[in-house]
Amino acid sequence: MNVSKCDTKHLRCDCLTFIAQHYTFFPLALGQILRQYAVTEMHLALNAGNWNYDRWGYPEEQGVGTGAELWAWMGDGAAITVDERWKGLRNALAGLFCASLGSLDELRTTSPAQTFIPEGTLPDWGVSHTVRHASLPSEHVCTENLTPFLKLLPCKSLSGIASLLNPHRLFDADWHGMGVHVLWREGEGVEMRLTFQSVSDPLRYDSAKKQDWSLQSLFDRTIHRSCPVAQSSEIVVALPKNALYSIKPEPPLIERSSAHFDVNTPLEYRSESTQFSVKRTLRGPSQAHGQLSVVIVNHRPYAIHTLYLETMPWLLQFYVHTLEARVDGVLQAGIISNLTYIPSVPHSRPTTFQALLNLPPHSTVQITMDVTKAFLRYTEHPPDAQRGWDLPPAIFTPVELATNDSSFSVKEGRHYTSTLLVDLATPDFSMPYNVIIFTCSVIAYIFGTIFNLLTRRFVVVRLDQTKT
Amino acid sequence: MDNTNVETVPKLKRVLQKFQKIFRSDANIHEKRIQRRLKLVNLITRRLKAIKIILFVVGYLWMVLIPFPHLGRGTYIDENALQPGQVNTQWNWGDVHVADRYLEQLEHVRDANYTSEQRATWLREEFGKLGLSASTQSYGFSTSTSNSTGTNAYAIIASPRHSGAEAIVISASWLSRIDEGKGTINIRGVSTILALAGFLKRYSYWGKDIILVISDDYLEGMQAWLGEYHGVSQSGKSVRSTQEPKADLTTGLNAEPLKLASGVIWTALNIDYPGHSFSHLGVFFEGLNGRLPNQDLINSVERIARWSARVPVILYDHLDPREDAPANVVFSWMPKTLYEIADVKSYLYQARNVIRNVGYQYNGRGSGVHGLFHQFRIDAITLFAVPATGPHGFHAIGSLIESTLRTMNNLLERLHASFFFYILTGPQRFLKIGLFLPSAILISVAMMFHGLSTWVDAAWVQEDTDNEVSEKAASTTNKSTKWRQRPRPVIKVLCIMAVTHIFGLVLFTVISRPLFISNYQVLSPITFVVFSGIPLVIRLIPQPAPPTGAAPASSVLKALNLCFASTVISIITVLNFSLAASLTIPLGVPLVASSTSSSILLRLLKYTVYALLGLGWLIFAQDEMVKSIWYWESLRVWFAPFICIVYVPLLLQAGISCIL
Repeated sequence: MNVSKCDTKHLRCDCLTFIAQHYTFFPLALGQILRQYAVTEMHLALNAGNWNYDRWGYPEEQGVGTGAELWAWMGDGAAITVDERWKGLRNALAGLFCASLGSLDELRTTSPAQTFIPEGTLPDWGVSHTVRHASLPSEHVCTENLTPFLKLLPCKSLSGIASLLNPHRLFDADWHGMGVHVLWREGEGVEMRLTFQSVSDPLRYDSAKKQDWSLQSLFDRTIHRSCPVAQSSEIVVALPKNALYSIKPEPPLIERSSAHFDVNTPLEYRSESTQFSVKRTLRGPSQAHGQLSVVIVNHRPYAIHTLYLETMPWLLQFYVHTLEARVDGVLQAGIISNLTYIPSVPHSRPTTFQALLNLPPHSTVQITMDVTKAFLRYTEHPPDAQRGWDLPPAIFTPVELATNDSSFSVKEGRHYTSTLLVDLATPDFSMPYNVIIFTCSVIAYIFGTIFNLLTRRFVVVRLDQTKT
Repeated sequence: MDNTNVETVPKLKRVLQKFQKIFRSDANIHEKRIQRRLKLVNLITRRLKAIKIILFVVGYLWMVLIPFPHLGRGTYIDENALQPGQVNTQWNWGDVHVADRYLEQLEHVRDANYTSEQRATWLREEFGKLGLSASTQSYGFSTSTSNSTGTNAYAIIASPRHSGAEAIVISASWLSRIDEGKGTINIRGVSTILALAGFLKRYSYWGKDIILVISDDYLEGMQAWLGEYHGVSQSGKSVRSTQEPKADLTTGLNAEPLKLASGVIWTALNIDYPGHSFSHLGVFFEGLNGRLPNQDLINSVERIARWSARVPVILYDHLDPREDAPANVVFSWMPKTLYEIADVKSYLYQARNVIRNVGYQYNGRGSGVHGLFHQFRIDAITLFAVPATGPHGFHAIGSLIESTLRTMNNLLERLHASFFFYILTGPQRFLKIGLFLPSAILISVAMMFHGLSTWVDAAWVQEDTDNEVSEKAASTTNKSTKWRQRPRPVIKVLCIMAVTHIFGLVLFTVISRPLFISNYQVLSPITFVVFSGIPLVIRLIPQPAPPTGAAPASSVLKALNLCFASTVISIITVLNFSLAASLTIPLGVPLVASSTSSSILLRLLKYTVYALLGLGWLIFAQDEMVKSIWYWESLRVWFAPFICIVYVPLLLQAGISCIL
């Protein structure tokens, strides 16, 4: 399959600080929300589809987990607590982007500070900063999310690269996702990054079934002019390494096997295959127990260290004592270290499970852990009860170990696994009348007999022997 | 108006008073009530024999009437999300041409005698050429009955825009179901899958991953694939690490872990198209251990075939004699005049379907590869292209599968709305559970009544009065008979029952030994003689005389045996109706009829009959026995252990109660 990647918009805001309140380019709607809830750094990603790392490599933007993902760093010590501000932020963003971010509630919120380190800098105000993270795998992305997204851009979708954002084509792509990232850099100010990524299959649109593609064929649109306020506007095309190709118009600049077209100055582009691939499955056909299995294949000739993070709703509870790691099928110690485990609280808090994995060179590591599936109250079932529950993806973050092996620093390149669907024991909601009638009969019967026994007077009856 | 009212009010009062007199007489109402109850019990006990006979007759008659054309109703789609046949299909003659090209290549693969590994590699490469993630899985099965190895090939069409947490499977086994996978290659089924792979990938509307599996052999390949996909060992009980290349010692399945994974499988379609072309599409649906798929799946396929693909759908490979003249040959034994009656013709056709259904269901083997999916709560059916000279081919089956996949793609939840318990009497007719279940229950109730009455009777003995008048008196009035209560040897009887069940367990252990299986023709008759002889030998050992005045052990054994058999049948009805219905024949009347007699020869004869009923399969159905053991060892179909541990002991108990 010929895959083309398009990174559409990279916009840096020149406004210096919030205090200056320059809303010439910076969208007012978003700025107000960030000010209101005193958010230092925020990342929102809405994605549809499952990013196939093995075929497509690393994405340009690392947040590609299926569904909605929101994480934010906030300074503590204000009059309103972090959790209240987090709630406000969720709801405000839900309103702004027309997405069900309000559902990212306490059942799904965790604070995995080691995996989600701030991309910018945290201002030194003498208060501690904490992270809040939540993801909702069943959230779907559609046009109603794209429209408010486009409104944040200075030229909307009228000109520049953003004019390629044709919803008919984007939402038909094999994978698509949008992201809003706001961070603060010391000495520079607030930086906002709006991204839209998609993976399309050019063969699907081409009746001749040739692997050729053009902007017109992929997006059904072309770029007529650049956005006047943009300082740089650039298209990067990765060129095939071991195959013949032709590209028109001839690119003005080719570097590191990618062609650069300046639509109006350079953006670094890297395309490297993933260091490892991950397959996460939930095994066992039972509705009460199962086994979480994660198979990680290290493609590199050297050992890789990675942080493995599960933020699991309480629906699935881990038996951490059954945690085992096998290397190429052989049980091996020393693979898992630095375990952080915050157990779930039924009906409220999710599990946070984090471990540092040491993946030996060119090996397959399988991590298994027994899990138990929750038994829900009947009011907790969603309307589509027989579907099962979507579980958020696990996140792998490559880390660099310090020389003394005691500390580590997080590197770029978060890796999301696919989401899971878990079957919990579900009552048959499709026959409520039968159930109601049956239950009522049983209760009436029990009540009737007990009431009868309580109120009855026992007497000795002498039967006339001749009658019987 | 006023006049009539004045007149009726006293009249009503009078009627009410009359009723009050009946129900609330001046006498003690408690006494009345107790007497009423006694009367009712008396009435039932006095007519118990008639009630039992009626229950038996009605029960058996009901079973015979299950295929009656006016019983049951037409099938319908219950899940609104399915919307079968509401889409325009895109499968066209170009795709048929692609399927034909694949067929040519597959014929080459077949004629060049590829090993199963070469074949799987070839299939994987073909999938890879289409841009799909594809892989192979090799496995080895070794049970006490057979050994086999093979390689499966599979590919995944990842659903665009969706997380791929759900999946649909389309599969084709390399061997066709004809003769239960004895060698006919499902060559057009495999080429259909290959052509569909390229075709389905072109569309972006798939909300679920589509997994294409070409399993090796007939059942073995798919079992290895499904087992690894769900990460369970053969028994389906424990979760096993798949990274372990070690063989599962209990069943001998040694399967390679799957390299590709997808989500939860909701539905599966298995394609079986062995012939050149086909006239009808046969639906096979029975799963392992008597499970059935949700009826919506069958109904959607049937609707789509009828209205979109324009292919007639039939159950199994039974042509409907009302529509196809050649099908009349099957019923040529019927007198022509009788056969021409519409209802008789329909009855015979539907009876044939029901008997086939029972045949697939009672022994828990299911009717094909789709049955394996049912172990993992996946609704699956096989579409069998009934070989004929025409008129349908790749075009019809392709568009049918496409449309069915679109229908399954619409599902937001698992199939749950429609029926899981039903008997299909025709492709468009079925019986709900309430219309067939009572037949077996009635028989089990009759058995329970007989058991309870034997139990009560055992406790009482008629006092031996000095003259013969007593007998005469007993038959005329109750008043002059003297009944004495006597103890019943329950512990002894329960021990006998427990021993027979342990005996059954031993029998099962013996017949599932590899040594027995390899020489079963010689060893089966010996086993029969040994296992039916042991109770007789034990009987010869002198036993302490029973305490005088106690009830005979034989009648207590009969009572408990009947109660137990009745309970077993009632429970089995909801697990596997066909099995329960089949059990009512050797267990229903025969167990009720058991009795001791004064002549030793007659007792032995009776015992032999029971031993033959219980253990006769060791002599008369040896091949079936070996097959059942294979199904238990490799697919955990509990028919074989059930027969040995429950069925055989029940009949032996009846036999023992005759010789005690």
